[in-house]
Amino acid sequence: MDLLERFAQGEIDAFETLVRQFQGQIYGWIVRIVRDPGVAEDLTIETLWRVYKARGRFRPDASFAAWARRIATNLAIDYLRTRHSEQALVVEPAGRAGADLLEQQEMQQKIQQAFRRLPAKLQVAATLALIEERSYDEIADVLGTSVGAVKLRVFRAIRILRKRLRHLWTNSGVSEVER
Amino acid sequence: MSEQEERQIREALRRSFPPVDTELRRDLWPDVLRRIDTQSPGVPWYDWALIAVMAALCLYAPRLILVLAYHL
Repeated sequence: MDLLERFAQGEIDAFETLVRQFQGQIYGWIVRIVRDPGVAEDLTIETLWRVYKARGRFRPDASFAAWARRIATNLAIDYLRTRHSEQALVVEPAGRAGADLLEQQEMQQKIQQAFRRLPAKLQVAATLALIEERSYDEIADVLGTSVGAVKLRVFRAIRILRKRLRHLWTNSGVSEVER
Repeated sequence: MSEQEERQIREALRRSFPPVDTELRRDLWPDVLRRIDTQSPGVPWYDWALIAVMAALCLYAPRLILVLAYHL
């Protein structure tokens, strides 16, 4: 019997094989969205558990990877919804020194903060399209929506960011991000 | 929105969110297995239905409680 059929019937050995085969892929996808390795590991475990729980609904002729990635994306969106918006990433300096560097770091933090305040769905679409440069087709597939809807989300994200960050570009780099 | 503005935002985002390491450093199977094992088994609907029927019967005929207590 096929591995996916055995998984759909609840065989734990088949699921173990699938976990070992796809855990890296799922983790890689989640970490691109949440950008935190610890959180991505937790969400990968949660994704795999949900995949196992929902095995009865899985069609063995479908793609396991695509199905798991959709579950993972939904979990990542839920996480972004609940995450504290003030949490900022620490950006490593690019090698330049002095006040210029500090100014640049401050600017990057403001951009991160503004980005993290975007609604979760816009954030995910913008992360995948603008930062990770994924195709609109791929993003639409994992979000379970149309290409047009993804383009609209990215457009809205850019518009909000432009509004929140316009002072950064008009006032020599560093200024308050709009609330 | 001009293309230049859009490009400016794209570039700013890429600078502010450096590439992440996408490689998984450890095997997550033991954690997944633990998660599956600790999952509390849900009570099936027919058990709830049975409880509801028994409660209703006991309310209708309280002496049934004694019969149940004898048999359980």
